[in-house]
Amino acid sequence: MKIQFNNRDPVYVQVIRHFKNQIAKGFLEPGQVIPSRRELANQLKINPNTAQRAYKEMEEEGLIKTEKNQPSRVTSDEQILQDLRDELILQAVSEFVTSVKSINVPLDDALELVKQKYQRETRKEDSDD
Amino acid sequence: MIEVKDVVKKFGRKQVLNGVSFTANKGEITCLIGINGVGKTTILNSIMKLTPIQSGEILVDGKKVTKETFEKIAFIPDATIMLPGMRIKEAMDFMNDFYKVWNQQRADELLEFFKLNREDKISSLSKGNTAKINLLLGLALDVDYILMDEPFSGIDIFSREQIAEVFTTHLIEDRGVIITTHEINDIEHLIDKAVLLDHGVIHKEFSTEEIREQEGKSVIDVMREVYRQ
Repeated sequence: MKIQFNNRDPVYVQVIRHFKNQIAKGFLEPGQVIPSRRELANQLKINPNTAQRAYKEMEEEGLIKTEKNQPSRVTSDEQILQDLRDELILQAVSEFVTSVKSINVPLDDALELVKQKYQRETRKEDSDD
Repeated sequence: MIEVKDVVKKFGRKQVLNGVSFTANKGEITCLIGINGVGKTTILNSIMKLTPIQSGEILVDGKKVTKETFEKIAFIPDATIMLPGMRIKEAMDFMNDFYKVWNQQRADELLEFFKLNREDKISSLSKGNTAKINLLLGLALDVDYILMDEPFSGIDIFSREQIAEVFTTHLIEDRGVIITTHEINDIEHLIDKAVLLDHGVIHKEFSTEEIREQEGKSVIDVMREVYRQ
C-alpha cells in the first residue's frame, strides 16, 4: 500500500479516502482483515496517531469493524458498501459537472461525449484482456 | 508534558530567547521550526540544563528539571557525542554504564533498522551514519521524552528517509518528541504539532491536522505567512 500525500488535506482524511477507493474498487473485500494501526502507520509512513484517527473515523462510519481481541475488518454490511459506491460515483460526477459547466458545454453534447469515451475505453479494456 | 514558560536567555547583551512559551505532549511529535540562529538549539539546551536561563520556568510532567529527570528525557544533539576512537559496541557499553534506562534490546533493533555494524569505529562513519548513531544512542533509552536537534541537516536523502521512518514505528510511539528543524519537507505529514519561532519569540503554535482541516493550509503555507511578512 502506498499513498502520495498532499500537504493541504488532513492526512487522516487522505487515508480514509484511500481506503474508500480500495473498498469500492474491490481491492479490499467485505470482511477482509486490514492492517493493525501500527502496521498501517509503518506501511504508509505516517504518524501512528494519524492511523489511529483514520481508523476511529472509519469505525464510526461503519466502514470497518473491530471485535474484541480481533483484527479490524472491512464491513460486510451490503447497505454501507452500496452507500460507499454511491458516494464515490456522486463525487466523481459532481467534479465532472463542475469542470464541464465552467466551459459552457450543453448537457446533451457533454453526455454524448461521455458515452463515446466510455464505450471506447471499455472496448480498449476488452481487447487488452 | 514538557512546559516551557516565558523563558528568557541572553548571551551577554544579545537576547536569544525573548519569553518563549510552548508545550509538548507525551505521545505527540512537536516540531520547533525556525530559520538558522533563532534559538531552537538554545531551547533544547535550556530544557536539558546545558545552559542557564535568565528567567522563566521549564517543567517536565509538572516538575522542575533535576538530575532524576535525565532518566526520563533523552537529548540527541546534531554533533558527535561519543569519543571518535570508540567502536559502536563500546559506545553502547558506555551508555549502559551511565543510564539505568538503557535498553540493549532496543539498541540491537535499531542497529538492525539502520543497518549499522557494531564493530565499526565511530570516527570512520559517514555524516549520515554518525547521525544514525546519535539517534540510536538516544532512542535506545527507555525514556518518555526525546529531544532531537536537527536530525536531518546535511544528510543524504536516503538516510533522511530512513530517519523519518523511525517516527512511524514503535520506537517513537507513545513517547513525547520535540524535534527542531528548518527543513520541514521530510517530516511535514509526520508531526502532530508545529511551533514557529522567530527572533526569540513563538509566532504560532498549532496542530498540523487541525490547520489542514480548518484552513486547508500546509505547514509551509503557515510558515510563509509568518516568516515572509
